[in-house]
This record gives sequence, C-alpha cells and structure tokens, in this order.
Amino acid sequence: MSRSHIVDNLIKEIDNFSSQLKIEKVGKVIEVFDGIAKASGLSDIKLSEMVTFPHGEVGVALNLEEDAVGVIVLGDFSKIKEGDEVKATGRILEISVSDNILGRVVNALGMPIDGEGAIRATKTYPIEKVAPGVVTRLSVSEPVATGIKVIDAIIPIGRGQRELLIGDRQTGKTAIAIDTILNQKGQNMICVYVSIGQKDSKLRKLQMRLAEGGAMDYTVIVSAGASEAAPLSYIAPYTGVSIAEYFMDQGKDVLIIYDDLSKHAVAYREISLLLRRPPGREAYPGDVFYLHSRLLERACRRNEKYGGGSITALPIIETQAGDISAYIPTNVISITDGQIFLETDLFYKGIRPAVNVGSSVSRVGSSAQIKAMKKVAGTLKLDLAQYRELEAFAQFGSDLDENTKKQLERGKRAVEILKQPQYAPMKIEDQVIVLYALTKGFMDDVPLEKIKEFELGLIEYTEKNAKKFYKDIEETKMWTETGETELQNAIEEFKNNFLART
Amino acid sequence: MTQISNNDIARAIYLSLKDKKGIEFSQGLKRVVDFIYRKHLLSKVGGILSSLREIINKEESITIVKVSSAQKLENHSRKSLVHLLKKRYLSKEVNLIEELNEELLGGIRMEVKDEVIDLSVKNKIKQLEAYLVCE
Repeated sequence: MSRSHIVDNLIKEIDNFSSQLKIEKVGKVIEVFDGIAKASGLSDIKLSEMVTFPHGEVGVALNLEEDAVGVIVLGDFSKIKEGDEVKATGRILEISVSDNILGRVVNALGMPIDGEGAIRATKTYPIEKVAPGVVTRLSVSEPVATGIKVIDAIIPIGRGQRELLIGDRQTGKTAIAIDTILNQKGQNMICVYVSIGQKDSKLRKLQMRLAEGGAMDYTVIVSAGASEAAPLSYIAPYTGVSIAEYFMDQGKDVLIIYDDLSKHAVAYREISLLLRRPPGREAYPGDVFYLHSRLLERACRRNEKYGGGSITALPIIETQAGDISAYIPTNVISITDGQIFLETDLFYKGIRPAVNVGSSVSRVGSSAQIKAMKKVAGTLKLDLAQYRELEAFAQFGSDLDENTKKQLERGKRAVEILKQPQYAPMKIEDQVIVLYALTKGFMDDVPLEKIKEFELGLIEYTEKNAKKFYKDIEETKMWTETGETELQNAIEEFKNNFLART
Repeated sequence: MTQISNNDIARAIYLSLKDKKGIEFSQGLKRVVDFIYRKHLLSKVGGILSSLREIINKEESITIVKVSSAQKLENHSRKSLVHLLKKRYLSKEVNLIEELNEELLGGIRMEVKDEVIDLSVKNKIKQLEAYLVCE
C-alpha cells in the first residue's frame, strides 16, 4: 500500500498553517533560587498569570513589585539562569481536563504520572476560580454515604458539605478517606483524591488499594509528592478542585479529599517566606486563611437552574500532639461545616475508627440524613452522651443502681458496635438495622465480647428474614409499621438462637 | 520600613534637574552626586541611571527599539520601520539599536521596553512546530 498519503496530508497541514503575529510581553530573569524566580520587565502582568521560561518551564506570577515580579516555578528550576527570557502568556494557570482523566494519577499540572500514556484533553480549566455565588447554591439535603457507622449515624456528611478530618499522625485520617471513596461505588459519585507532600510509597499503596476495590473507575488522584518543589504542593489542591468542577459542570456529584492541608499551608509558608512576604503567627503569611477559605468555598451544591451537581470536600489536617488550637487547625475548623476529630488514645484503646464523638460535629449534615437513620441515631447520641458522663463511675460498678448500670452497659455496647475494621464499609440499610437493634435494647443481654459476632450474624439473618424492612428503607428511606414488626421478630428470633448457641 | 526604589530616586533626580540651566544645573548635579554618596547608593547607580534614562525617554516621547535581523537592514526598510513604530508607540522620535543575529534565519525581531514583536523566520518555524505537534 502506498504511503504517499502521509506526505500529501503533511503538505495539507502545512498549507493550513498560518503564523500569527503576536506582540509578547517579556522580562528577564534577575535571580533564581529554591523554586522562585525574580524577573524584571513584564509590565502589564496580572496576579496569578502564567509565564513561560526558555526550556518550557511554567511559572506563576505571585508577587507584583515595582521593579520586579516574583514567580513560582512549577517544575525543574535548575535550567533557568539569570538573563533568561520570561514570557507572559496573558492567561491564568490552566489545566487540561476531560472524562479520560478518570482512573488516572496526575501531577499538580494535570499531566499523567502513572506511565499509562497521555490523557486526551477536551477542555482547559483555570485553577483559580471564584466560588459559585449565593443564588446558584442549594442547601445540603442529600447524604454522602461513607459506609462508616459512626460517621453516617452521628456525624453525617451531605453532598456539598465541607467536613474536616482532623487528628494526630497515625490516627486513621487517610483510612476514613479511602473507605469513603471505596463506598462510593454505585453511588453516582466521582472522587478526586489530592495528595499533598505525601510519600510516593503511600500514594502507590493507596492507588493499588483503590484499584483492588474497583474504585479507580470513578477516581482521579492528583499528586504533589514530598520530593517535589513547594510551588507544586501549593497549586495541587486548586488543580484537584478544578478537575472536580469539570465534573460538577456536567451535573455530577463529586467528592474531593485534600490530604493534607497542613502540608499545603507549610508549602505556602515556604513560598511566602522566599518571596519575602512578612511572616505572621507561626511564620505563616497574613493571607493563609484566604488560602484555604477560597479553596474550600469552591465546594458547593448547585441548584438545577445552574446545572446541578455538587462538590463535597473532605480536607484533612494533621495536628501535633492533639493541639487543635494551633493556627491552621483553628482556621480550617472555622471554614468547614464541621469536623471529625480522631484521637490517638482512642486508637490505641482499640476504638477504630478513633473518632471522638464528643468533639466531632457536623453542622449541616443532619438535614441530609435519611429519616430512618435520623430516628435510630437520635437515641444513639443520647446513649453515648450518658455513657460518657457515667463512665467515670464505672470503676465503682457495684455501688451503682440498676438504671445506671443499664445505661453503662448500653454505652459499652454502643462503643463496641461503632467499631469498624478498615476497608469494610457497611450499607446504610445494614447500619440502620444494627443501630435499631442496639438502641431498642435488643443487644443489652448479649455478652460484650460477642457483640461483633452478633452484629455480623444479625445482618446475614435479617437480609433473608426482614425483606420488607429493607424494601421500605430502599424505597421510602423510612420503615413502615409492618416492616418494623417483621424486623423486631427477626432480631428476636436471631437473638434467641444466638444466645442458645453460645 | 518602605524601601525607596531606583525608580523613585531617578524620578526625584529628574524633577530636580529638568528645569535648571547653567551654574544652577551643575550645582544640582553636584548635590545629586553628594546625595548618592551620603545615602550609600553608589552600588545602585547603574539601576538609577537606567531608570533615569527611561523616565527622560518617556517624558520626551523617545522610543528605543532594539532590532535584530539576520541581514543588515536596508535604508528604505529602516525608514518605514521607524514610521510604523512612531505610529504604534505615539512617539516623536524612534531610536533603533540594530543587531545582526544569523540565528533568526530571516525577518526581524523588535524589542521595545518589555514588548517583543517577533517577525523572524525562526519564530515562524517554531510556531509551525508547535502547530504540527499539538494538532
């Protein structure tokens, strides 16, 4: 077969090409250091405008001074030298987006880093965008099912909410995030995981875990690793939220996880100090609040008139020795719509997920909870609160009256039931059944050490013997009287068999 | 403390000297030199002078254009270039600084302050490369 068509097509392409006369604004590099370049010239440059260097490196203008412009270099800055030409592009930093990005791992500039080839892009999105306004928004009313009992029952998250995951190192913050992503299978949700300053080995493990659980089909990972320069860590969350906005603009619901914003703030502090911006508390610059508020404000739920869709944000903050009154934790706590507080003590006591129910709160999520869950969770909250109050007396067990003893026993069982292993998300119907059995006192006479076994068996049994209850929850999100009677009978039957067996 | 930039100093020098003549002018010059010495600004003289040159050019509507070309410019092209640039930058006077650069292959490249108008063959080939690679 003749290959002459290649030449013909190439000639046609070249014929179609017309060079454009463009007047470019250029500057000269004055100095380069630690991922920062200072350039003279560039008189009409805008804040956050993209600039290019001779070897193709991209930068963003962050400091506009009288004589010079401070630019952060996104990538390898070792080839840039004094006197190099810097070109202004007239555009805010953009990333390429398309549906093909799903299942891929990209860097902070949206370029693939998973070795699976280029991503064919259809559109570009600016990484900095003003958050949707008041009129375009809708209040939170649909739940994000995390599959984690303690969260879905007590600290529920709604679509469009911003819920902070806060805790010391090694308390299971990322584990909750991964479980939440895994549980979104079939829930009509796109997930974006933004890894900031994490070890590459941890990221690889996480990617493998998500792939194993079939979650990569609806997930994008944006990574700015620990070995990359601070400017990339700084822009990574904005890249992530731009990807999320691309999907939200199609009317889809998106879940975005920022792991973690403490490292993001540290990266921004590094850049700010190098740019000689005045340091404030803990050496962070004055606009560190705005850094996070403008990012998290882009999480929203839009009304149908403006295309629908939502972005739910789960930012993660790592505290030092449980100090939630440090600068960044207090900032992010005040920005978000609630926080899930994880504690080292609980973690080592074996209460996992190590959620401190007393300090955790979800300010808007309860309106997103399904009716059945709301009903069982109300009594559960009360049980746990009473248990915490009475826990101090537990050591004087023998001197307590019957009622107090009963409350303590119920509390112990509630704590036991809320324990959940990693990678084992639970369906919302199953959660309702387990919590129903707990709060209605069906578990009061089950030995504490058998609770887990009882829970697993109960779910298996009710699946077959309380079908009406399941159907009610699925259809109306609440049980009917007949469904409830059926469930009560099933629980009673199972319990009798269980107790007789053990 | 706010730092005084080279531009501020240059503007002050310009304003203090622009209307002076004769002895007054030479006395003014001495005062400027004395000021630079007293304020330890000798290391910044290069920057101050280039800012001063820019201010004077702006005030007197003079545009300095660096023209690079692969071959020496012919007289008539130089004339039409000056005419065009006067129009574009609304200047009374255009001073061309010519430079030969064989790497451009053909055409010209002009630099005015921080603006670059690249009409060279090299740039066109670069654009064609980008077009063929991206499309």
